Amino acid sequence: MSAALPVPVIQLFQVLTIALGSPGISGVIAKVEARLQGRRGPHVLQPYYDLAKLFRKEALAPEGASWVFLAAPLAAFTCYLTVPLLIPVLTTYGLPLGYMGDILGGGFILSLASFLVAVAASDTSSPYAQLGASRAKTFSAITEPVVLFVVFTVGLITGTDLPYALAATVRSSASQIIRPAHALAAAALFMVILSETGRIPVETHTGTNEFGMIEEARPFEHSGPYFAWLRWGSAAKQLILYTILINVFLAPWGLAASTQAGAVLLAIVALLAKASALGVVVAVIDNSFAKLRLFKITEFVSAAFLLAVLGVFTLYLGGG
Amino acid sequence: MHLAQSLPTQAPGVFTGSANVIAVLILLAEFGMLRQALLRDHIRLYMAQSALIAVLAVVVAAARHIPDLYVLAALTVALKVIVIPLLLRRLLRETDPVDAPAGGADIAGSGGLGVASTVLLAIVVAAFGFFAASRLGIRNNAAPITALSVSIAVVLVAFVLMIHRRDVVSQAIGLFSLENGISLAALVVAASLPLILEVALLFDLLLAVVVFGLLIRMHHGRARSLSTADLTRLRG
Amino acid sequence: MSVIAALLLIIPFLAGLASSAAPPRAGQALTAVTGVASFGLVLALIPDASQRAATYFGFIRVDALSVVFLLATSFLYATVAIYSIGYLRGGHGHDASARYTRRFSLGLNLFAWSMLAAPLMSNLALLWVAVEVTTVISALLVAIEGTDGAAEAAWKYILIASAGLSIALLGTIFMYYAGEQVLGPHYSMAFTPLLQSARHLAIVPVRIAFVLAVLGFGTKVGLFPVHTWLPDAHSEAPTPVSALLSGSLLAVSFYAILRYYQVAVAALGPRFPRDVLLVFGVATLLLAALYLLDQRDYKRLLAYSSMEHMGILAIGVSFGAPIALAGVLLHVLAHAAAKGNAFMGSGVLLRKFGSKRISSVRGGLDLLPWSGPLFLAAILALCAMPPFGIFRSEFEIVRGGLAADANVPAVILVVLVTVAFLGLTLATNRMMLSPPRHPPGQEADTALTRGEPSAWMVVPVAVGLVALLVLGLHPPGELTGLLARAVAQLGGTS
Repeated sequence: MSAALPVPVIQLFQVLTIALGSPGISGVIAKVEARLQGRRGPHVLQPYYDLAKLFRKEALAPEGASWVFLAAPLAAFTCYLTVPLLIPVLTTYGLPLGYMGDILGGGFILSLASFLVAVAASDTSSPYAQLGASRAKTFSAITEPVVLFVVFTVGLITGTDLPYALAATVRSSASQIIRPAHALAAAALFMVILSETGRIPVETHTGTNEFGMIEEARPFEHSGPYFAWLRWGSAAKQLILYTILINVFLAPWGLAASTQAGAVLLAIVALLAKASALGVVVAVIDNSFAKLRLFKITEFVSAAFLLAVLGVFTLYLGGG
Repeated sequence: MHLAQSLPTQAPGVFTGSANVIAVLILLAEFGMLRQALLRDHIRLYMAQSALIAVLAVVVAAARHIPDLYVLAALTVALKVIVIPLLLRRLLRETDPVDAPAGGADIAGSGGLGVASTVLLAIVVAAFGFFAASRLGIRNNAAPITALSVSIAVVLVAFVLMIHRRDVVSQAIGLFSLENGISLAALVVAASLPLILEVALLFDLLLAVVVFGLLIRMHHGRARSLSTADLTRLRG
Repeated sequence: MSVIAALLLIIPFLAGLASSAAPPRAGQALTAVTGVASFGLVLALIPDASQRAATYFGFIRVDALSVVFLLATSFLYATVAIYSIGYLRGGHGHDASARYTRRFSLGLNLFAWSMLAAPLMSNLALLWVAVEVTTVISALLVAIEGTDGAAEAAWKYILIASAGLSIALLGTIFMYYAGEQVLGPHYSMAFTPLLQSARHLAIVPVRIAFVLAVLGFGTKVGLFPVHTWLPDAHSEAPTPVSALLSGSLLAVSFYAILRYYQVAVAALGPRFPRDVLLVFGVATLLLAALYLLDQRDYKRLLAYSSMEHMGILAIGVSFGAPIALAGVLLHVLAHAAAKGNAFMGSGVLLRKFGSKRISSVRGGLDLLPWSGPLFLAAILALCAMPPFGIFRSEFEIVRGGLAADANVPAVILVVLVTVAFLGLTLATNRMMLSPPRHPPGQEADTALTRGEPSAWMVVPVAVGLVALLVLGLHPPGELTGLLARAVAQLGGTS
């Protein structure tokens, strides 16, 4: 099992890991959450079955929807699958297409995907979908500064904003993990992830709470395979964001340092395990807190902003 | 640009890193007080903040070999984590409004700005404190300089808290957390202050808390509420 | 001297405890006796303090500067203690309740004790603790009457003053840091070593410490912009307490600033500390003078006058010439006597006319044969009329300013003092010199009759007036010697 894999294959594996692993992570989170509530919960692989079922179903479109409505789900999914090419998913060394974009570029592509979904939702002229789309855009507008500050913090620590380089610096010594700027930036990013993936305290992931929906409302009008692409895409986004948090900030170990097949396989398993652990944390948070009322989400974001800003400050003053 | 040349790519040592983390947690506790609406949680944040100061005192004592600080940490825990919150909680119980749930869970009166705006204002204020303190050129300090910047930020944010809140207990706790900020500054810059003087300072704080309690009880006795909204009689 | 200093610290404290347990009349008598005894003890300290500075028991220090402020405090302690015998007798025939009297006596004694302790402390940290103790005790005394206004004033006072003192504590910590570099760790912040090594102290921490100390202790002095508690607290407190607050507590807090000034001048040179004090002093004086022009409550009027005089003190110190500094210290003493008189007279007015509003007081000179002229004299003294002590002290301050080439600030001082004079006399004119008001259609016997509420409230004021005349016409030689030594200390020598 020590065959050396060609590098493009490894890059393909990165995309496949994200694509195929993401519904599993959603399943793990749902299962853990149910267990914490005292229920048995759905099977861990349930999201896969759901996707399979949805691909077999008939698709409907509202009157007056244009080609944007039909094209957006697949386009968004494609964007989501482009990002794993740029970030350290499985390996510690840069892969050929990895230099296509830096972390800001990755963020841009994620925003593009979100934009496409929002446009498709607006195209439907359905009230709930438009509600969700406009809310999602508003809140992502105020979370953008937080993400930028987080990126600045890590960028300032390492002097670069290529994700691979960031990960390498963090891996270099344990004291990098406990420096306050790093901890603050990681905490801020975690809060942004909660907001972007539609989890408590920003939104309830399960159930249809129409007046509180933000992310969940956008795919309201899609059905059949289109709905499947959208669901899959949001699961992929979730895993991508988890991967960025884990592999750049929190625990960048277990990545393959060589092209050996065994190392790459280990890296895949390690990534899924770490993402599941993070998912467990998210599930616990889901069950511990109540959803914030919409106008209080600004407080939440301001708290994240505070952490990010403090990260930059402690970095500049005293080498924190 | 000047700042770009001083990029701190080197990670700080364990002592500096952990001291900085504790200092930042103290600042976060201060910001947390801006958000807390329930007075009970306000007191808990104060307890957490005081406990963190004690922890930092122990860390500095171990790293810089100043045995007096162990005693100071113990006294801090005894006074600020146990006695003062006890007194405050007793005060809340006694000034419980008739129709509130048992346990004195009073809601703090809030001022004009919302929480998010207050946090942003406090960030600006804290930023000023940070950058001002960094220009002081302090050397030979026991704890890292970041902690001094953080302490100035804590003091300034405590001022924002005192100005913003409209009830007496929140204002009082804001003042005590201001004193916490100054204790943090003392740990950085004056860690070897003779123990007898530190004890005098702590005792003095206790005295102040008792008097604050008396005045709050008196205020409550007259106005039947803890709000300061009607303290507008004296002007000009 | 050590015995005297120890007695000064012990006796008022014990008297306070005793008077809280004893029957009210006995407690009041004890307070009065203690006050006079304290004044006597301080007078006994003068000859020695004019020669040298001495430290006793490790934490007490007696030198010329501290004795000047001890004089101000103990004189007011004595006069106010006698005055409150009459004050607590109550108007209209009934006394204040026994419980109130006991609490009042306890508070008065402890308050005076704390203000006597502060100038006796030998290091900066204990000085801070002593000033904090004065804040705490005086806040309770401000609230003692229990009215809505008193509760509000006490809360404002303790919150703002404690916040200000926290800033002062930060200043103390920075001063400790500055000293630690030179004197080594674990040093107590005693004055003498700090002053002697002041030349070697690092500049930036001392600067910060000084500014923070001025801002922090200046909160208790009533300097702009942290003065906002002052009018409320001084007007809502009971009259004897107001007299002590204005006459002594502001001075003791200024003493704390002066100690930091000593170290700062020795470490930084005279320019920076003097500029800082000048800015604060002019701002305070300006604000006070303007506010004095438009007051409706005569106790608030007197409170703003205190602010004015504190501004004058700060400006005087900023001039730096020896004669200006002598004027400043004389001003501390004269202001204590005059302000004490004014407040005690206002207490009589309150007792007689039943209201604190200026518009309710008419015909003071006619209706109060003794207190009326005495109050008028006190106000004139506050306006720096000759032959009272304040005229002499302000004259010396202005002369010192002109001698030190600080012409513009000296002129500003004179102009603003004139504005303040205008404000004070306008109000007093209305109160004292206008004919008594006869409400139309009422019988003559419901109008106020001529007579003093209590002899106890007249005698201390008369004594204060005599003191003002003495200070103005011919200060005794020992006093001048003491002041000269204190001036030399402020100039930088120990």
